[in-house]
Amino acid sequence: MAPRRQYLFSTVATKVLIAIAGLSLVGFLCVHLAGNLLLYVGAPAFNAYSHVLISNPFIVPLELALLALFVLHVLEAVTMWWTDRAARPIAYQMTRSAGGRSRKSLASTTMIVTGPIVFVFVAVHVATMKYGPWYVADLHGTEARDLHRLVLETLRRPVWLAVYLPCLAAVGLHLWHGVSSAFESLGLHGPRLTPKVLVAGKALAVAIAAGFLSIPIWIFFFGGRS
Amino acid sequence: MNVTVRVWRQGGAFGEGRLVPYEARDVSPDMSFLEMLDVVNESLVASGQPPIAFDSDCREGICGMCSLVVNGVPHGPDRGSTVCQLHMRRFKDGDTITVEPWRAAAFPVRRDLIVDRGAFDQIIAAGGYVSVGTGSAPDANAIPIPKDVAESAMDSAACIGCGACVAACKNASASLFVGAKVSQLALLPQGHPERVARARALVQAMDDLGFGNCSNEGECEAVCPKEISIANIARMRREYLRALVLGTDR
Repeated sequence: MAPRRQYLFSTVATKVLIAIAGLSLVGFLCVHLAGNLLLYVGAPAFNAYSHVLISNPFIVPLELALLALFVLHVLEAVTMWWTDRAARPIAYQMTRSAGGRSRKSLASTTMIVTGPIVFVFVAVHVATMKYGPWYVADLHGTEARDLHRLVLETLRRPVWLAVYLPCLAAVGLHLWHGVSSAFESLGLHGPRLTPKVLVAGKALAVAIAAGFLSIPIWIFFFGGRS
Repeated sequence: MNVTVRVWRQGGAFGEGRLVPYEARDVSPDMSFLEMLDVVNESLVASGQPPIAFDSDCREGICGMCSLVVNGVPHGPDRGSTVCQLHMRRFKDGDTITVEPWRAAAFPVRRDLIVDRGAFDQIIAAGGYVSVGTGSAPDANAIPIPKDVAESAMDSAACIGCGACVAACKNASASLFVGAKVSQLALLPQGHPERVARARALVQAMDDLGFGNCSNEGECEAVCPKEISIANIARMRREYLRALVLGTDR
Protein backbone atom coordinates (compact mmCIF):
# COMPACT_ATOMS: atom_id res chain seq x y z
CA MET A 1 0.00 0.00 0.00
CA ALA A 2 1.14 3.49 -0.79
CA PRO A 3 2.19 5.71 2.12
CA ARG A 4 -0.65 7.75 3.49
CA ARG A 5 0.83 11.13 2.54
CA GLN A 6 0.20 10.26 -1.12
CA TYR A 7 -3.50 10.48 -0.35
CA LEU A 8 -3.19 14.24 -0.05
CA PHE A 9 -2.31 14.52 -3.74
CA SER A 10 -5.26 12.52 -5.05
CA THR A 11 -8.10 14.18 -6.96
CA VAL A 12 -10.43 13.58 -4.01
CA ALA A 13 -8.06 15.08 -1.42
CA THR A 14 -7.29 18.04 -3.69
CA LYS A 15 -10.98 18.92 -3.82
CA VAL A 16 -11.33 18.44 -0.05
CA LEU A 17 -8.50 20.93 0.58
CA ILE A 18 -9.95 23.40 -1.93
CA ALA A 19 -13.35 23.06 -0.25
CA ILE A 20 -12.07 23.55 3.31
CA ALA A 21 -9.96 26.58 2.29
CA GLY A 22 -12.79 27.99 0.16
CA LEU A 23 -15.44 27.70 2.87
CA SER A 24 -13.03 29.29 5.38
CA LEU A 25 -12.53 32.20 2.98
CA VAL A 26 -16.31 32.53 2.64
CA GLY A 27 -16.47 32.73 6.43
CA PHE A 28 -13.90 35.53 6.30
CA LEU A 29 -15.94 37.34 3.63
CA CYS A 30 -18.99 37.28 5.91
CA VAL A 31 -17.01 38.86 8.77
CA HIS A 32 -15.41 41.35 6.35
CA LEU A 33 -18.82 42.35 4.97
CA ALA A 34 -20.28 42.77 8.47
CA GLY A 35 -17.39 45.13 9.30
CA ASN A 36 -17.74 47.05 6.04
CA LEU A 37 -21.45 47.63 6.62
CA LEU A 38 -20.35 49.93 9.49
CA LEU A 39 -19.58 52.43 6.70
CA TYR A 40 -23.35 52.98 6.61
CA VAL A 41 -23.26 53.89 10.33
CA GLY A 42 -20.56 56.51 9.88
CA ALA A 43 -16.91 57.38 10.29
CA PRO A 44 -16.62 56.99 14.10
CA ALA A 45 -18.14 53.50 14.11
CA PHE A 46 -16.08 52.31 11.12
CA ASN A 47 -12.80 53.73 12.40
CA ALA A 48 -13.43 52.39 15.90
CA TYR A 49 -13.95 48.89 14.41
CA SER A 50 -10.85 49.11 12.23
CA HIS A 51 -8.85 50.39 15.20
CA VAL A 52 -9.86 47.34 17.25
CA LEU A 53 -8.63 45.11 14.42
CA ILE A 54 -5.39 46.98 13.69
CA SER A 55 -4.37 47.27 17.35
CA ASN A 56 -5.16 43.61 18.13
CA PRO A 57 -2.01 41.47 18.69
CA PHE A 58 -3.81 38.42 17.23
CA ILE A 59 -4.44 40.12 13.90
CA VAL A 60 -1.05 39.23 12.37
CA PRO A 61 -1.29 35.46 12.98
CA LEU A 62 -4.89 35.58 11.75
CA GLU A 63 -3.81 37.43 8.61
CA LEU A 64 -1.06 34.89 8.00
CA ALA A 65 -3.53 32.03 8.44
CA LEU A 66 -5.88 33.71 5.98
CA LEU A 67 -3.04 34.19 3.49
CA ALA A 68 -2.09 30.52 3.89
CA LEU A 69 -5.68 29.42 3.17
CA PHE A 70 -5.83 31.73 0.16
CA VAL A 71 -2.54 30.43 -1.25
CA LEU A 72 -3.59 26.81 -0.61
CA HIS A 73 -6.90 27.36 -2.40
CA VAL A 74 -5.19 28.98 -5.40
CA LEU A 75 -2.31 26.48 -5.70
CA GLU A 76 -4.58 23.43 -5.42
CA ALA A 77 -7.03 24.92 -7.93
CA VAL A 78 -4.28 25.67 -10.45
CA THR A 79 -2.84 22.15 -10.06
CA MET A 80 -6.32 20.75 -10.58
CA TRP A 81 -6.92 22.88 -13.67
CA TRP A 82 -3.64 21.62 -15.10
CA THR A 83 -4.63 17.97 -14.53
CA ASP A 84 -8.06 18.61 -16.02
CA ARG A 85 -6.61 20.10 -19.19
CA ALA A 86 -4.42 17.03 -19.59
CA ALA A 87 -7.42 14.75 -19.03
CA ARG A 88 -9.01 15.97 -22.29
CA PRO A 89 -6.24 16.89 -24.73
CA ILE A 90 -8.54 16.92 -27.78
CA ALA A 91 -11.61 19.11 -27.38
CA TYR A 92 -15.06 18.36 -28.74
CA GLN A 93 -16.09 20.14 -31.93
CA MET A 94 -19.47 20.74 -30.35
CA THR A 95 -20.49 20.74 -26.67
CA ARG A 96 -23.85 21.35 -25.10
CA SER A 97 -25.14 21.02 -21.57
CA ALA A 98 -27.31 17.96 -21.13
CA GLY A 99 -29.74 19.99 -19.01
CA GLY A 100 -32.03 18.00 -16.74
CA ARG A 101 -30.42 17.48 -13.35
CA SER A 102 -27.14 19.10 -14.41
CA ARG A 103 -25.95 22.03 -12.31
CA LYS A 104 -23.81 23.38 -15.11
CA SER A 105 -24.05 27.17 -15.18
CA LEU A 106 -22.12 30.24 -16.26
CA ALA A 107 -20.66 30.23 -12.75
CA SER A 108 -19.57 26.57 -12.79
CA THR A 109 -17.86 26.83 -16.17
CA THR A 110 -16.01 30.08 -15.36
CA MET A 111 -14.51 29.19 -11.96
CA ILE A 112 -11.03 29.24 -13.53
CA VAL A 113 -11.78 32.73 -14.92
CA THR A 114 -13.46 34.31 -11.89
CA GLY A 115 -10.82 32.78 -9.60
CA PRO A 116 -7.83 34.65 -11.09
CA ILE A 117 -9.94 37.85 -11.32
CA VAL A 118 -10.62 37.61 -7.57
CA PHE A 119 -6.95 36.77 -6.93
CA VAL A 120 -5.70 39.91 -8.71
CA PHE A 121 -8.49 41.99 -7.20
CA VAL A 122 -7.61 40.92 -3.64
CA ALA A 123 -3.96 41.90 -4.22
CA VAL A 124 -4.96 45.32 -5.60
CA HIS A 125 -7.56 45.80 -2.86
CA VAL A 126 -5.10 45.01 -0.05
CA ALA A 127 -2.50 47.31 -1.65
CA THR A 128 -4.91 50.26 -1.93
CA MET A 129 -6.67 49.86 1.41
CA LYS A 130 -4.42 48.07 3.93
CA TYR A 131 -1.19 49.50 2.53
CA GLY A 132 -2.73 52.76 1.29
CA PRO A 133 -2.21 56.27 2.71
CA TRP A 134 -2.29 56.39 6.51
CA TYR A 135 -4.61 59.23 7.49
CA VAL A 136 -4.98 59.95 11.18
CA ALA A 137 -8.30 60.35 12.95
CA ASP A 138 -9.07 61.33 16.51
CA LEU A 139 -11.06 58.56 18.18
CA HIS A 140 -12.32 59.79 21.54
CA GLY A 141 -8.90 61.20 22.41
CA THR A 142 -6.82 58.30 21.02
CA GLU A 143 -5.06 58.50 17.70
CA ALA A 144 -6.42 55.98 15.18
CA ARG A 145 -6.13 55.32 11.47
CA ASP A 146 -8.75 57.18 9.43
CA LEU A 147 -9.56 54.27 7.17
CA HIS A 148 -13.01 55.72 6.54
CA ARG A 149 -11.51 58.71 4.74
CA LEU A 150 -9.37 56.43 2.56
CA VAL A 151 -12.37 54.28 1.61
CA LEU A 152 -14.45 57.32 0.66
CA GLU A 153 -11.61 58.97 -1.28
CA THR A 154 -10.91 55.80 -3.20
CA LEU A 155 -14.45 54.78 -4.05
CA ARG A 156 -15.53 58.29 -5.12
CA ARG A 157 -13.17 57.98 -8.11
CA PRO A 158 -14.76 56.52 -11.27
CA VAL A 159 -11.68 54.41 -12.05
CA TRP A 160 -12.00 52.51 -8.76
CA LEU A 161 -15.74 52.06 -9.23
CA ALA A 162 -14.95 50.50 -12.62
CA VAL A 163 -12.53 48.11 -10.89
CA TYR A 164 -14.65 47.22 -7.87
CA LEU A 165 -18.00 46.53 -9.54
CA PRO A 166 -16.93 43.78 -12.01
CA CYS A 167 -14.50 42.24 -9.52
CA LEU A 168 -17.13 42.02 -6.77
CA ALA A 169 -19.55 40.53 -9.30
CA ALA A 170 -16.85 37.93 -10.07
CA VAL A 171 -16.71 37.09 -6.34
CA GLY A 172 -20.46 36.51 -6.38
CA LEU A 173 -20.27 34.36 -9.51
CA HIS A 174 -17.44 32.30 -8.00
CA LEU A 175 -19.50 31.65 -4.87
CA TRP A 176 -22.69 30.88 -6.85
CA HIS A 177 -21.12 27.51 -7.75
CA GLY A 178 -18.36 27.37 -5.14
CA VAL A 179 -20.33 27.15 -1.91
CA SER A 180 -22.55 24.20 -2.80
CA SER A 181 -19.68 22.56 -4.72
CA ALA A 182 -17.54 22.67 -1.56
CA PHE A 183 -20.19 20.71 0.33
CA GLU A 184 -20.16 18.06 -2.42
CA SER A 185 -16.36 17.92 -2.34
CA LEU A 186 -16.49 17.17 1.39
CA GLY A 187 -18.93 14.33 0.76
CA LEU A 188 -21.77 16.23 2.45
CA HIS A 189 -24.64 15.07 0.28
CA GLY A 190 -28.05 13.76 1.19
CA PRO A 191 -31.66 13.77 0.02
CA ARG A 192 -32.63 16.35 2.65
CA LEU A 193 -29.35 18.27 2.87
CA THR A 194 -28.42 18.82 -0.78
CA PRO A 195 -31.51 20.78 -1.97
CA LYS A 196 -31.06 23.13 0.99
CA VAL A 197 -27.31 23.52 0.36
CA LEU A 198 -27.93 24.35 -3.31
CA VAL A 199 -30.42 27.11 -2.43
CA ALA A 200 -28.45 28.40 0.57
CA GLY A 201 -25.19 28.51 -1.42
CA LYS A 202 -26.73 30.67 -4.13
CA ALA A 203 -28.51 32.86 -1.56
CA LEU A 204 -25.22 33.38 0.29
CA ALA A 205 -23.45 34.24 -2.98
CA VAL A 206 -26.12 36.83 -3.83
CA ALA A 207 -26.13 38.25 -0.28
CA ILE A 208 -22.33 38.60 -0.16
CA ALA A 209 -22.08 40.08 -3.67
CA ALA A 210 -25.02 42.47 -3.08
CA GLY A 211 -23.64 43.54 0.30
CA PHE A 212 -20.18 44.32 -1.05
CA LEU A 213 -21.49 45.88 -4.29
CA SER A 214 -23.82 48.22 -2.40
CA ILE A 215 -20.90 50.01 -0.72
CA PRO A 216 -19.01 51.41 -3.77
CA ILE A 217 -22.32 52.19 -5.51
CA TRP A 218 -23.61 54.06 -2.45
CA ILE A 219 -20.35 55.95 -1.94
CA PHE A 220 -19.94 56.88 -5.62
CA PHE A 221 -23.51 57.92 -6.39
CA PHE A 222 -24.65 59.15 -2.97
CA GLY A 223 -21.36 60.24 -1.46
CA GLY A 224 -21.39 57.90 1.52
CA ARG A 225 -21.64 59.11 5.08
CA SER A 226 -19.01 61.08 6.97
CA MET B 1 -36.67 12.19 -43.90
CA ASN B 2 -33.23 13.41 -45.00
CA VAL B 3 -30.50 14.46 -42.59
CA THR B 4 -26.83 15.40 -42.81
CA VAL B 5 -24.51 13.70 -40.34
CA ARG B 6 -21.12 15.24 -39.63
CA VAL B 7 -19.09 12.28 -38.41
CA TRP B 8 -15.62 12.21 -36.85
CA ARG B 9 -13.44 10.15 -39.21
CA GLN B 10 -10.03 9.04 -38.02
CA GLY B 11 -8.10 6.32 -39.83
CA GLY B 12 -6.41 4.85 -36.77
CA ALA B 13 -5.24 5.53 -33.24
CA PHE B 14 -2.51 7.90 -34.36
CA GLY B 15 -4.10 9.38 -37.48
CA GLU B 16 -5.40 12.90 -37.85
CA GLY B 17 -9.17 13.09 -37.57
CA ARG B 18 -11.80 15.47 -38.92
CA LEU B 19 -15.55 15.85 -39.21
CA VAL B 20 -16.87 14.57 -42.56
CA PRO B 21 -20.42 15.34 -43.73
CA TYR B 22 -22.59 12.51 -45.12
CA GLU B 23 -26.13 12.69 -46.51
CA ALA B 24 -28.55 10.15 -45.05
CA ARG B 25 -31.45 9.96 -47.56
CA ASP B 26 -34.96 8.48 -47.11
CA VAL B 27 -34.40 7.67 -43.44
CA SER B 28 -37.46 6.36 -41.61
CA PRO B 29 -38.31 8.32 -38.43
CA ASP B 30 -38.79 4.92 -36.75
CA MET B 31 -35.15 3.94 -37.35
CA SER B 32 -32.80 4.07 -34.43
CA PHE B 33 -29.85 6.42 -34.68
CA LEU B 34 -27.49 3.47 -35.11
CA GLU B 35 -29.68 1.99 -37.86
CA MET B 36 -29.43 5.32 -39.66
CA LEU B 37 -25.63 5.02 -39.43
CA ASP B 38 -25.94 1.44 -40.75
CA VAL B 39 -27.78 2.83 -43.80
CA VAL B 40 -25.08 5.44 -44.35
CA ASN B 41 -22.47 2.67 -44.05
CA GLU B 42 -24.23 0.52 -46.64
CA SER B 43 -24.02 3.34 -49.16
CA LEU B 44 -20.37 3.96 -48.24
CA VAL B 45 -19.51 0.29 -48.74
CA ALA B 46 -21.45 0.21 -52.01
CA SER B 47 -19.37 3.11 -53.30
CA GLY B 48 -16.13 1.45 -52.19
CA GLN B 49 -15.40 3.70 -49.21
CA PRO B 50 -14.56 2.48 -45.69
CA PRO B 51 -17.65 2.39 -43.44
CA ILE B 52 -17.92 4.55 -40.31
CA ALA B 53 -16.56 2.53 -37.38
CA PHE B 54 -18.71 2.75 -34.25
CA ASP B 55 -19.34 0.52 -31.23
CA SER B 56 -22.61 -1.24 -30.51
CA ASP B 57 -23.67 -4.60 -29.14
CA CYS B 58 -27.07 -5.28 -27.58
CA ARG B 59 -28.85 -2.27 -29.13
CA GLU B 60 -31.41 -2.45 -26.35
CA GLY B 61 -29.84 -0.02 -23.90
CA ILE B 62 -28.30 -2.42 -21.38
CA CYS B 63 -24.79 -3.39 -22.47
CA GLY B 64 -23.01 -0.03 -22.35
CA MET B 65 -21.16 -0.55 -25.63
CA CYS B 66 -22.59 2.28 -27.78
CA SER B 67 -20.77 5.52 -27.17
CA LEU B 68 -21.54 8.49 -29.40
CA VAL B 69 -21.60 12.19 -28.61
CA VAL B 70 -24.58 13.47 -30.60
CA ASN B 71 -24.79 17.23 -31.07
CA GLY B 72 -22.49 17.81 -28.12
CA VAL B 73 -24.26 15.51 -25.65
CA PRO B 74 -23.10 11.94 -24.86
CA HIS B 75 -25.84 9.46 -25.86
CA GLY B 76 -27.76 12.31 -27.48
CA PRO B 77 -30.74 14.45 -26.49
CA ASP B 78 -32.87 11.86 -24.61
CA ARG B 79 -32.41 11.55 -20.84
CA GLY B 80 -31.84 8.21 -19.14
CA SER B 81 -31.10 6.32 -22.34
CA THR B 82 -28.20 5.09 -24.42
CA VAL B 83 -27.66 6.31 -27.97
CA CYS B 84 -28.89 2.98 -29.40
CA GLN B 85 -32.31 3.85 -27.97
CA LEU B 86 -32.31 7.24 -29.72
CA HIS B 87 -34.67 7.34 -32.69
CA MET B 88 -34.66 9.48 -35.80
CA ARG B 89 -38.11 10.89 -34.91
CA ARG B 90 -36.22 12.96 -32.34
CA PHE B 91 -34.78 14.97 -35.27
CA LYS B 92 -36.35 17.09 -37.98
CA ASP B 93 -36.10 16.66 -41.76
CA GLY B 94 -33.06 18.57 -43.01
CA ASP B 95 -31.24 18.57 -39.65
CA THR B 96 -27.45 18.51 -39.49
CA ILE B 97 -26.28 16.17 -36.71
CA THR B 98 -22.73 16.18 -35.35
CA VAL B 99 -21.39 12.81 -34.16
CA GLU B 100 -18.14 12.55 -32.20
CA PRO B 101 -16.41 9.89 -30.10
CA TRP B 102 -15.96 10.11 -26.30
CA ARG B 103 -13.11 12.54 -25.62
CA ALA B 104 -10.70 11.78 -22.79
CA ALA B 105 -6.98 11.12 -22.50
CA ALA B 106 -7.86 7.85 -20.74
CA PHE B 107 -10.19 6.82 -23.60
CA PRO B 108 -7.98 7.01 -26.72
CA VAL B 109 -9.75 6.92 -30.10
CA ARG B 110 -8.98 3.70 -31.98
CA ARG B 111 -10.80 4.50 -35.22
CA ASP B 112 -13.56 6.96 -36.17
CA LEU B 113 -16.08 6.81 -33.30
CA ILE B 114 -14.56 3.86 -31.43
CA VAL B 115 -12.64 4.55 -28.22
CA ASP B 116 -10.72 2.20 -25.95
CA ARG B 117 -12.47 2.11 -22.57
CA GLY B 118 -10.00 -0.37 -21.09
CA ALA B 119 -9.19 2.23 -18.42
CA PHE B 120 -12.49 1.32 -16.74
CA ASP B 121 -11.44 -2.33 -16.64
CA GLN B 122 -8.14 -1.29 -15.06
CA ILE B 123 -10.03 0.63 -12.36
CA ILE B 124 -12.14 -2.44 -11.59
CA ALA B 125 -9.04 -4.64 -11.59
CA ALA B 126 -7.52 -2.34 -8.93
CA GLY B 127 -10.12 -3.45 -6.39
CA GLY B 128 -13.67 -3.10 -7.69
CA TYR B 129 -14.62 -6.57 -6.50
CA VAL B 130 -15.07 -8.69 -3.38
CA SER B 131 -12.08 -10.96 -2.75
CA VAL B 132 -13.47 -13.00 0.13
CA GLY B 133 -14.34 -16.62 -0.68
CA THR B 134 -18.12 -16.70 -0.64
CA GLY B 135 -18.68 -20.37 -1.34
CA SER B 136 -21.87 -21.38 -3.03
CA ALA B 137 -24.89 -19.09 -3.18
CA PRO B 138 -26.37 -18.64 0.32
CA ASP B 139 -30.06 -18.88 1.13
CA ALA B 140 -31.96 -15.82 -0.06
CA ASN B 141 -32.68 -14.59 3.47
CA ALA B 142 -29.46 -15.72 5.18
CA ILE B 143 -27.98 -12.21 5.13
CA PRO B 144 -30.63 -9.67 6.12
CA ILE B 145 -30.24 -6.38 4.20
CA PRO B 146 -32.66 -3.50 4.80
CA LYS B 147 -34.84 -2.78 1.78
CA ASP B 148 -33.66 0.83 1.38
CA VAL B 149 -29.99 -0.27 1.50
CA ALA B 150 -30.63 -2.97 -1.10
CA GLU B 151 -32.40 -0.43 -3.33
CA SER B 152 -29.56 2.06 -2.93
CA ALA B 153 -26.93 -0.58 -3.78
CA MET B 154 -29.01 -1.68 -6.79
CA ASP B 155 -29.23 1.93 -8.04
CA SER B 156 -25.43 2.12 -7.94
CA ALA B 157 -25.04 -1.33 -9.50
CA ALA B 158 -27.17 -0.20 -12.47
CA CYS B 159 -23.98 1.31 -13.97
CA ILE B 160 -23.25 -0.30 -17.35
CA GLY B 161 -19.77 1.21 -17.61
CA CYS B 162 -20.46 3.03 -20.89
CA GLY B 163 -18.25 6.00 -19.97
CA ALA B 164 -20.78 8.73 -20.80
CA CYS B 165 -20.02 10.32 -17.41
CA VAL B 166 -16.39 10.78 -18.44
CA ALA B 167 -17.43 12.01 -21.90
CA ALA B 168 -19.82 14.61 -20.47
CA CYS B 169 -17.55 15.89 -17.70
CA LYS B 170 -15.70 19.07 -18.62
CA ASN B 171 -12.68 17.60 -16.80
CA ALA B 172 -13.09 14.04 -18.13
CA SER B 173 -13.46 12.79 -14.55
CA ALA B 174 -14.41 9.18 -13.86
CA SER B 175 -15.83 10.03 -10.44
CA LEU B 176 -19.39 8.91 -11.18
CA PHE B 177 -18.21 5.51 -12.43
CA VAL B 178 -15.85 5.00 -9.48
CA GLY B 179 -18.46 6.38 -7.07
CA ALA B 180 -21.03 3.88 -8.32
CA LYS B 181 -18.62 0.95 -7.97
CA VAL B 182 -17.43 2.02 -4.50
CA SER B 183 -21.03 2.55 -3.35
CA GLN B 184 -22.46 -0.64 -4.78
CA LEU B 185 -19.98 -2.74 -2.79
CA ALA B 186 -19.61 -0.59 0.34
CA LEU B 187 -23.37 -0.62 0.96
CA LEU B 188 -23.70 -4.40 1.05
CA PRO B 189 -22.37 -6.74 3.78
CA GLN B 190 -20.32 -8.74 1.27
CA GLY B 191 -18.36 -5.66 0.18
CA HIS B 192 -18.18 -4.06 3.60
CA PRO B 193 -14.93 -5.63 4.95
CA GLU B 194 -12.78 -4.26 2.11
CA ARG B 195 -14.51 -0.92 1.68
CA VAL B 196 -11.66 1.26 2.95
CA ALA B 197 -8.89 -0.34 0.90
CA ARG B 198 -11.19 -0.46 -2.13
CA ALA B 199 -12.01 3.25 -2.03
CA ARG B 200 -8.34 4.10 -1.82
CA ALA B 201 -7.29 1.70 -4.58
CA LEU B 202 -10.02 2.75 -7.02
CA VAL B 203 -9.36 6.48 -6.57
CA GLN B 204 -5.63 5.85 -6.96
CA ALA B 205 -6.24 3.88 -10.19
CA MET B 206 -8.59 6.59 -11.51
CA ASP B 207 -5.95 9.26 -10.89
CA ASP B 208 -3.09 7.18 -12.33
CA LEU B 209 -5.05 6.57 -15.53
CA GLY B 210 -5.28 10.30 -16.21
CA PHE B 211 -8.92 11.11 -15.50
CA GLY B 212 -9.61 14.66 -14.28
CA ASN B 213 -11.10 16.15 -11.12
CA CYS B 214 -14.79 16.30 -10.31
CA SER B 215 -16.17 19.87 -10.42
CA ASN B 216 -19.58 18.91 -8.98
CA GLU B 217 -21.43 20.14 -12.06
CA GLY B 218 -23.52 17.00 -12.40
CA GLU B 219 -23.32 16.76 -16.21
CA CYS B 220 -22.42 13.09 -15.63
CA GLU B 221 -25.64 12.44 -13.76
CA ALA B 222 -27.62 14.23 -16.47
CA VAL B 223 -26.25 12.09 -19.34
CA CYS B 224 -26.05 8.78 -17.44
CA PRO B 225 -28.30 6.28 -19.24
CA LYS B 226 -28.98 4.64 -15.87
CA GLU B 227 -29.49 8.01 -14.13
CA ILE B 228 -26.94 7.24 -11.43
CA SER B 229 -26.91 10.03 -8.87
CA ILE B 230 -23.88 12.11 -7.91
CA ALA B 231 -24.73 11.05 -4.36
CA ASN B 232 -22.44 8.14 -5.30
CA ILE B 233 -19.55 10.58 -5.80
CA ALA B 234 -20.17 12.03 -2.34
CA ARG B 235 -20.16 8.50 -0.89
CA MET B 236 -16.87 7.74 -2.69
CA ARG B 237 -15.37 10.84 -1.04
CA ARG B 238 -16.63 9.84 2.40
CA GLU B 239 -15.18 6.34 1.92
CA TYR B 240 -11.90 7.84 0.76
CA LEU B 241 -11.74 10.18 3.76
CA ARG B 242 -12.40 7.15 5.96
CA ALA B 243 -9.36 5.52 4.32
CA LEU B 244 -7.34 8.68 4.92
CA VAL B 245 -8.21 8.70 8.62
CA LEU B 246 -8.19 4.97 9.37
CA GLY B 247 -5.49 3.81 6.96
CA THR B 248 -6.03 0.79 4.74
CA ASP B 249 -5.11 -2.00 7.13
CA ARG B 250 -8.72 -2.42 8.20
